[in-house]
Amino acid sequence: MTTSQPLQKVDHSALKTNQLFIIFISLIGFILNQPLLPAFVALVMGIGAVLKTPGFGIIYKSILKPRGWMKPDVVDDNPEPHRFSQIVGFVFLTAGSAALFLGSTTLGWTLVWIVIALASLNAFGGFCVGCAVYYWLARLNVPGFTKQPPAGVIPGAKPKAGAIA
Amino acid sequence: MTSDILLRSAIALGIILLGLGIYWLVNQRLLSRAKQGVASLFGTYPNKPVIVYFTTPDCAPCKTIQRPALDQVSKQLGEKLEVVEIDATERPDLAKTWGVMSVPTTFLLNSRGEACYVNNGVARADKLIQQLQTL
Repeated sequence: MTTSQPLQKVDHSALKTNQLFIIFISLIGFILNQPLLPAFVALVMGIGAVLKTPGFGIIYKSILKPRGWMKPDVVDDNPEPHRFSQIVGFVFLTAGSAALFLGSTTLGWTLVWIVIALASLNAFGGFCVGCAVYYWLARLNVPGFTKQPPAGVIPGAKPKAGAIA
Repeated sequence: MTSDILLRSAIALGIILLGLGIYWLVNQRLLSRAKQGVASLFGTYPNKPVIVYFTTPDCAPCKTIQRPALDQVSKQLGEKLEVVEIDATERPDLAKTWGVMSVPTTFLLNSRGEACYVNNGVARADKLIQQLQTL
């Protein structure tokens, strides 16, 4: 699979930081039975989606990266599928939080756990399910989904550095 | 309140363990694929433990952590170990055969050429040595 559009430099450390904070705060929210925490995560992800940046990426940029606690992991990639993935996470967490506030605890925490599971798969397994969905939608020519996976990369998998545009 | 937190922590732990179990199964599948990949990588197997290390030229954690860790292990074990480095951008066929989806990825093969461990992501020297000792 190839793409006719140029790839951009995407720092996967910023994405990973975002995922780790999503996992940690949502998990604490579940353990403490505190719906405000996933709602807070949803809010941050929503703001990130609007600003087209990983929601918790600010922590990476302002604290972790300058102090050398996390090193940049910049690869040639499409940022759009990651933004889509964040929007999907935002929708799931917003729906989950709404369900929790309305008293549907099973549904609410199930939705939160789906986000935790998918963020974990991305953070620890290097596979972005939201990105894979994006590329499938692009393959189906759904309007707004225009990017193709970098050459030689499985849709959703983290591109290998130096992928050819 | 405390019992509720404990119960929910136990549930969270159970779900995490389930996830780890699934991750383990996926790793087993990767090892199974690696066994098929050994034949495509070696003409004659060196009859000693081998680390097959998948990397790419621009992979930052490969340069800063994985490569020094492998150097440390090689230095410590000397001739008893062989490290095979594969640039996944130059050999996408091998990366595909071995089921590599991200770099760095290291496979540890025993002296019979059987893939025993796979590390998705960075594997530090002490972990590699610990794994090599059990081969």
